[in-house]
Amino acid sequence: MASDRRQFIKGAATIAAAGALGAGALLKSCSRDRRKAVIPEFIDQAPEGKALKAGLIGCGDRGTGAAMNFLDAGNNLHITALGDVFRDKLESCRQQLKQHRNAEIPDEQCFVGFDAYQKVIESDVDVVLLVAPPFFRPSHFDAAVRARKHVFMEKPVAVDPVGARAIMASARMADAAGLKVVAGTQRRHQRDYLTTYAHIKSGIIGDIVGANCYWNQSRSWHVNRQAGWDDMTAMLRDWINWRWLAGDHIVEQHMHNIDVINWFSGKVPVRALGFGARHRRLTGDIYDFFSVDFVYDDNTHMHSMCRQIDGCANNVSEYIVGTKGASNCQNEIVNHRGETIWSYEYPRLEHGQPSQLAMKSPYEQEIIHLVEAIRSNKPLNEAETCAITTIVAIMGRISAYTGREVTYEEVMNSSLRLGPEKLAFGPVDMNLQVPVPGTAP
Amino acid sequence: MGSIRHFFFPRNRRYSVLLFYGFLMGVVFIMLSSSVMHYTSTNTFCMSCHVHPHAEESWKLSTHYDNPSGIIVDCVECHLPPPGSITHFTAKAATGIRDVYGFLFKDPENIQWEAKRHITQAVKHTYESSCIDCHQNLFPLQLTEEGMHAHLYYENNREELNCLNCHLHVGHYSEHAQEILDFGFERIAGKPEIVFKEASLVDAFERFTETIPGTGVRFDMLPIPGGRFKIGSPEDEPGRHDDEGPRREVEVSSFFMSEIEVTWDMFMAFFRETVSEGRSMQGNLTYTDAAQNIVDAISGPTPPWGSPDQGWGWGKRPAITMTWHAANVFCEWLSLKTGKTYRLPTEAEWEYAARGGTESPYFFEGSPKKFTRQRWVNRIFGADTTNINRFVVYEGNSFFRTQEPDAVQPNSYGLKNMLGNVWEFCSDYYAEDAYASYPAQMVIKNPQGPLEGKERVIRGGSFKSDAFEVRSATRSHTRHDAWLLTDPQIPKSIWWYSDVFDVGFRVVMEWPIENEPNDGQ
Repeated sequence: MASDRRQFIKGAATIAAAGALGAGALLKSCSRDRRKAVIPEFIDQAPEGKALKAGLIGCGDRGTGAAMNFLDAGNNLHITALGDVFRDKLESCRQQLKQHRNAEIPDEQCFVGFDAYQKVIESDVDVVLLVAPPFFRPSHFDAAVRARKHVFMEKPVAVDPVGARAIMASARMADAAGLKVVAGTQRRHQRDYLTTYAHIKSGIIGDIVGANCYWNQSRSWHVNRQAGWDDMTAMLRDWINWRWLAGDHIVEQHMHNIDVINWFSGKVPVRALGFGARHRRLTGDIYDFFSVDFVYDDNTHMHSMCRQIDGCANNVSEYIVGTKGASNCQNEIVNHRGETIWSYEYPRLEHGQPSQLAMKSPYEQEIIHLVEAIRSNKPLNEAETCAITTIVAIMGRISAYTGREVTYEEVMNSSLRLGPEKLAFGPVDMNLQVPVPGTAP
Repeated sequence: MGSIRHFFFPRNRRYSVLLFYGFLMGVVFIMLSSSVMHYTSTNTFCMSCHVHPHAEESWKLSTHYDNPSGIIVDCVECHLPPPGSITHFTAKAATGIRDVYGFLFKDPENIQWEAKRHITQAVKHTYESSCIDCHQNLFPLQLTEEGMHAHLYYENNREELNCLNCHLHVGHYSEHAQEILDFGFERIAGKPEIVFKEASLVDAFERFTETIPGTGVRFDMLPIPGGRFKIGSPEDEPGRHDDEGPRREVEVSSFFMSEIEVTWDMFMAFFRETVSEGRSMQGNLTYTDAAQNIVDAISGPTPPWGSPDQGWGWGKRPAITMTWHAANVFCEWLSLKTGKTYRLPTEAEWEYAARGGTESPYFFEGSPKKFTRQRWVNRIFGADTTNINRFVVYEGNSFFRTQEPDAVQPNSYGLKNMLGNVWEFCSDYYAEDAYASYPAQMVIKNPQGPLEGKERVIRGGSFKSDAFEVRSATRSHTRHDAWLLTDPQIPKSIWWYSDVFDVGFRVVMEWPIENEPNDGQ
């Protein structure tokens, strides 16, 4: 069973990468010897093609950003419908789109409420951008795929194992229906990462023997409850701090870094043991930090840590160690004496300084890849790969919450489902106790 | 000038001409054999000598014949591997030979058609590669949510699972299949006519009828006086396995044992009183462990998936498919209800009771060699099975299902179905070398089996067992993972097995009754 899963993950990764890079050959060889790195070609704009209409579901800041990324990705791309639970969020997004991209969305194409996503999907669009809080992703994705819409969705794709499995099943449905899906792990579309990946795949650091990844930052945003707000309103407006809506920050945010290690190693950890706690957070029910030891089937380890506390050392990066060298996965490869043996050449600004700013933003690049895949009918479906990384992050979270070692198999077979039974404004009747390690029965 | 021979075989181009004729013959042969292949693969041909008109009827009622798209799926499209594959030809040849043999030598009246429709048999004459050959897209957009999760589970566990696990009746309609789908488990069995107010009082070591308060259920308990016996079988016993030895002298104390295997009537009384909510209500399972239920108030089974009686009927048939855990909770419930101590028998108690003082393979006359159908001599010349038929529900007489207790006669203690009908749970962990770990020179008193283990002992064989397997000494064990293979719930049920249907249990009651007041602690 385990080998089946890996086989399948390999397949899924190949499809995703082949789509993103247009360079499937890159992964085909598995010889240990150093091969020539095949650097993917990057396009600055999606190819010309039929007009595509997109609907945005989730009109927060990232949603508004994704909508603009879509409009910028090429010619003949339109945002024609908006949906959100809150009127003010929707109006703010609508106004931004008008102000910055001169895109006007008429009243009858703006939908507010918990069922807004269905109305957006039914509003004669070709593509939907799913950017509501992660809790909603599985049901939104399912509805979009059944209605034959191409999808851009933000990570993570679920907050619990039940949701992640739903995404996996919908992903296969999307494949069968020939739909294209990009899943918001934008480092997989980032030029420096992709180029570094090509070099590491060529064998320059040998076999991978260990990895670290970090997302340590200052505290994240929160929204205090205001007078007159019911439970649901308060939670949704402060969604990133609630386990059932965001999945905790190891899932919501740090999964990016875990995903990079999964991607570069071509593997998925089989078990995890971690810890974490909550000390400083002002709202919600999630932890402030996690530290997790992920173990692969060949007994190599990935140490992952993430923290959201002010006044501490910060670091958002990855580090992967091979038999012949190491890399930060983004732009540099060193040998074991610490000497740089390769580095990514960033484009130069006008005054000659190299800069990441001159590089195409990965948020734009991922949408360009989506539109390219739609218009040239190339295979591209990242949903399952992203669901797998989501499961891995959830595995780390559950281990930290319980204090126990947790296996991938257990999480894949878990019936854990977060969130209230019914979605409606009003009181939310849920167990909101912060988990205390070592107290699980 | 050339003769006719030279016309057909010109000397100068002999080889190329030979080649040409070879080719021609090849083409003719292929055309002929292809039309033979084709003809022998038609439904008409299949039905011309297949002696089961009901198969045709049920096929015509099935979704593979009668469906909105008007497509008819032929016999060979399921019962042979896909055309074009090499196995198609080998399977066709093998099936052909078997069918001809069956047609000439077998009496269709004696073929257990119903048994062949059971999943364990059905996978032998349908081909998953053929299912997949037509059903290439397992994730159509119209698929239900349940279907999506089930197909994902299937794809991730492909080696263990077969399409038929869930889609058994798609080729041949079964009323029973509908029944399983629409089944309201709690609704079966009407209100009992009599409702017992109190449990029976037992003041003597003799047969009594237990009555379960608050239900209409009663059953007989028989006294099994303690004593010594040799557990296991001698090395020369026909059909013996190594785990039945070495034989050891064992002593068991007196106890009561139920006359028959726990019936559906008994188990359903328990279920109705203790049924717990469906698993969607279980909430956050990461932090609660249902297996650790400590019962002060008993929390009983969740409703099962499908119909646990397999459509064979309820009442006095032995209850089956409950897990070992569920059987134990049943005993706890029964103890609480009756104020006595009911539990599963130990393996030693079980064998002591089954033997009823005998040391032979069975508690009745006869040799397994004589009754078994595994010996070709018996199969061809027949064997006198009168005696085993009187006492045991086994492969030879069961029609592949459980039977009511009245079908057999009891052993010397009065116990029925100790051998056959359903395997019975014991409380011991199973170990192949369990007896070897007992000291040889001593009499071991009330052994409880190994201290640790994963699987539990089951004893007695079942309606599926050959005569070799229904001996008093035969040992087997639970197979937890395999028995929950197709349970579509995650995590899998702790109450019901999805993939075994010939295991049940019987209860023993401890004697003497300790008269401590039950304060519910």
